[in-house]
Amino acid sequence: MSTEQPLILGDVPSLSKLYVNAAATAARRRMLGFQAATVLPQGSHEVRGVQADVGNLTAYQHLIGESASDVLPAGFIHALAFPVAMSVLNRDDFPLPLLGMIHLQNHVEQLQAVQFGELLDIRSWAEDMRGHRAGTQLDVVAEVRSSADGALLWRGVSTYLAKGVFLPGVDKATTAAAPGEFTPPALTAVWQLGVDTGRLYAAVSGDFNPIHLSLLSAKALGLPRSIAHGMYLASRALADVGSVKSEAFRWDVKFEAPVFLPARVALEISTLHFASGAWEASDYVAWNPRSGRRHFSGSVTAL
Amino acid sequence: MPAAAQPASAPQETSEGQGTLRKAVVVGGNRIPFARTGGAYTKSSNQDMLTAALDGLIARFGLQEERIGEVAAGAVLKHSRDFNLTREAVLGSALSPETPAYDLQQACATGLETVLGLANKIKLGQIDSAIAGGVDSASDAPIAVSEGLREILLDLNRAKSLPERLKVLSRLRPKDLAPDAPNTGEPRTGLSMGEHQALTTAQWKIGREAQDELAFNSHHNLAAAYERGFFDDLVTPYRGLSRDSNLRPDTSMEKLATLKPVFGKSLGAEATMTAGNSTPLTDGASTVLLGAEEWADARGLPKLAVVVDGEAAAVDFVHGKDGLLMAPAFAVPRLLARNGLSFEDFDFFEIHEAFAGTVLSTLAAWEDEEFGRTRLGLDGALGKIDRAKLNVNGSSLAAGHPFAATGGRIVASLAKMLQENGPVDGRPARGLISICAAGGQGVVAILEAYSAPEGR
Repeated sequence: MSTEQPLILGDVPSLSKLYVNAAATAARRRMLGFQAATVLPQGSHEVRGVQADVGNLTAYQHLIGESASDVLPAGFIHALAFPVAMSVLNRDDFPLPLLGMIHLQNHVEQLQAVQFGELLDIRSWAEDMRGHRAGTQLDVVAEVRSSADGALLWRGVSTYLAKGVFLPGVDKATTAAAPGEFTPPALTAVWQLGVDTGRLYAAVSGDFNPIHLSLLSAKALGLPRSIAHGMYLASRALADVGSVKSEAFRWDVKFEAPVFLPARVALEISTLHFASGAWEASDYVAWNPRSGRRHFSGSVTAL
Repeated sequence: MPAAAQPASAPQETSEGQGTLRKAVVVGGNRIPFARTGGAYTKSSNQDMLTAALDGLIARFGLQEERIGEVAAGAVLKHSRDFNLTREAVLGSALSPETPAYDLQQACATGLETVLGLANKIKLGQIDSAIAGGVDSASDAPIAVSEGLREILLDLNRAKSLPERLKVLSRLRPKDLAPDAPNTGEPRTGLSMGEHQALTTAQWKIGREAQDELAFNSHHNLAAAYERGFFDDLVTPYRGLSRDSNLRPDTSMEKLATLKPVFGKSLGAEATMTAGNSTPLTDGASTVLLGAEEWADARGLPKLAVVVDGEAAAVDFVHGKDGLLMAPAFAVPRLLARNGLSFEDFDFFEIHEAFAGTVLSTLAAWEDEEFGRTRLGLDGALGKIDRAKLNVNGSSLAAGHPFAATGGRIVASLAKMLQENGPVDGRPARGLISICAAGGQGVVAILEAYSAPEGR
């Protein structure tokens, strides 16, 4: 990351305002033929002393199938950090269009359990802009520290793709990493996702990206129907892995075919144990039971 | 079955050939602070709270991934979807998923009955370890659809064609849409628990001041117990609460005297039951860890107390013979007789304060010569308890009473009190628990401080 001092934001930015601003920026750039910077901004954004809202936490836990404990789910921390990350992507000097960016994969390291009530410092920045066969990808990093002692509690790296955007100076991907063949395994669970899944997750996560909200808002952005939030799916898979997981763990997810709502999603969750019998890792994969297309896959691993 | 025909004997004194029973030991307990309804736990479900209490217990005693012999808990106000409430809480906890669990429901006696049932299994050698518990949410209570709508929905599901479905739907009337919320009324009398108790309170001529004094003591005893850290290893904070939210450390007899009666108003000047000397609706959960001595020793866990014996009783409250909450008045003398004990043999009395009037009516019955002779079959009154030994660390009037969670709260606290107290005149300290319950029921139990057998 950059050695520059972070830009301290007074409060957690409003995601709805950020999305409106992103839409306005996109329109302005299109109308003026204005090309923003071709390199990532160097700075990071930080909000200090963030505290989870208990009502929101409980609603989130119930929605994704976690018991409403006082420990913040790793996906909930992602949602807490998301507005700070979006504020980086919403800067005037950010070179890629925020709207329409595709979440390719997500990597989280939960280093310590975070208790409800703890004050948190959330810092985010963008890095490693690079070529992809379909456009330009980059990583958005978020770090969550204890406001009390500065200890790093949670670190997340979200990889996004700006489809069809090729910037000068950014190398094309050398290999075309097309997804491999997938043969669905025997399922261990099925999710029934209602048409309101995106709206419900938007309400608890604050992520009101129009592609998740309704048929019409999704169509306006070129999708045939609304799609489930990637982090909703990954967080539910994490909840399904359950309380066997250790306090510190790594959580990875790679998104492939979007889940158009409403949907039935088939899953297989398999668990590995150490020789001692303690939990080591759980792998999960989800697919469309009709078409057999893989939606996402990932793992949760003891740290 | 000749064995069943014999009178029940004290459990330690089993006849030869049946082998001796093991001891069931209380290792410790954990609960979340109790919250007044509509407060900190408004959005937390029974499963959330039971899991939170369970996870605190697991953390305190290092039970992560441990396969416990059996977990039993329950809730009085329970959603139909929570049919496997306890097992679901276990699956959501850090216990081994191979831990079996069952739900139990005996109104406000649920928590104590889980302790007794599991302790019996440990004594019999069927299991080596167990977790007993209970939870209730008056905030997140189930609401059922009306009986009319329920029948229509079921018929609709059975209807095969569109005309059939429309015909079923045409039966729907606006009144069918009114939901059916739970209430504390007794199904056979239509009277709420408070109204029932108001009749009993008046019957036993319990005065307003005596009730307020019991409430005052409950708040001050509970506050003092928190102050000296008594609950530090019995309670885990949850949702921002670290103490029971109903606790009023600064309440006074004057303040309590200003409250207007809420139950028994038809009694006019004799109405004595107020919001101050009645327990409010509360949300919360509690758990108790039980084990055989060897099981606790193998893990280096404490052995606070022994579950000695328990007794259930029920009264005919429907036709007015006894008050709704008076069953413990009958259960306790039976339990004492079976164990050859009298009130003098006890150092602590934990009488659940559903209402101050309940505790005082029960004490009055035990002190009453005629009640002792005619109803209990004794020579005279059962006896008088030393009030200095009653609910010394507060009880439900101050802590609140999430119905099924109260038993676990009392058992864990009493076990710790007994252990802290040390032996009395060369015998282990002893405590009596008495819990009244809806339906005219009551469950009572004896706990004794754990003392290592000779030579150990």
